[in-house]
Amino acid sequence: MDSQYENELRTLQMRFIGKIIAVFTHEIKNYIAIINESTGLIGDMMKLGKSPENELPVYLDIIHSIEDYIEKTTGHFRYLNRFAHRMDAPLSSFHINESLEELIALINRFANQKRISFKQGYDNDMPPVYGNPSLLQLIIFTFVEKNIMELEQDSTIIMQTAVADKSVLITIIPNGKRVEGSSAPIPTELLDIIIKELGGNISQDRGKNTVIMLPLTSSTA
Amino acid sequence: MAHTKVLLVDDEKEFASALAERLQLRNYDVKSASNALEALGIVHSFLPDVVLLDLKIPGMDGIETLKAIKKFDSTIEVIMLTGHGDVRSVEDGMKSGAFEYIMKPVDIGELTLKINRASQKKQTS
Repeated sequence: MDSQYENELRTLQMRFIGKIIAVFTHEIKNYIAIINESTGLIGDMMKLGKSPENELPVYLDIIHSIEDYIEKTTGHFRYLNRFAHRMDAPLSSFHINESLEELIALINRFANQKRISFKQGYDNDMPPVYGNPSLLQLIIFTFVEKNIMELEQDSTIIMQTAVADKSVLITIIPNGKRVEGSSAPIPTELLDIIIKELGGNISQDRGKNTVIMLPLTSSTA
Repeated sequence: MAHTKVLLVDDEKEFASALAERLQLRNYDVKSASNALEALGIVHSFLPDVVLLDLKIPGMDGIETLKAIKKFDSTIEVIMLTGHGDVRSVEDGMKSGAFEYIMKPVDIGELTLKINRASQKKQTS
């Protein structure tokens, strides 16, 4: 990869990581806000003399909600931690479905802001692949973001994985109408260079679906 | 004396529900909406004194919602709720006629103080 593409890649990576952190912190602040209001409500009720014995179901509901959001917060931190560690080594053995699930969890709020949801159709028998999960997530994010920007509200993005002929396929299917005149440009040339370095390719299926192919290789290949 | 009517607009239903209940315990008359369209419908029927508006709600940009509320009744005071340091959105909101803003997680004392000030401003306008 020449220095011009190296620079473009670094810029794209920084933008990607920045977006993930921005969405993540927004999500966590919301979770903390819910926990804050719930604990505050318990305090208010106690100050008003609402006895925990008489109002037990109400207190328990609030406590369960707090527990639920603590669990969600922990889960989200786990996703971010895993996402960060994917950059530890340029090449590693990883599970495609796991890396997709993590990426979708981390950008879900960004899509929800536009009332766009994700549907997952993963092949559960996917073998691990050997490659660069961080660069793969960058490529997938770039296409998913383009769809989020171009699709109308209440659309769906379907994420599929499959195994075919010693390769794995990741298909991104936009399901909904495009906003008229919308066009979110992506650095196609750079993405092609990245995917070729990973030994795969990117193609368009039926003019709108994006198919990312990666070879099934092991670390000893 | 009539209770201050507050409309709380936030897509996080658990947050909105807990905060609404806390405000009700403090004698505010509160209604909630989870998106812009629902919020505008309630503005027309409920005629709130103060709207607590999350800047990032699905359906319509928070600033656009703020403008639509002020267009309907410029005396309704809007306090923006923001879950992040989006200074630009806050500035845009203030320029578009918002009364104040408050960061999430909210301090209930600070929030009620701002609601009361907004309500007083509405009474005198």
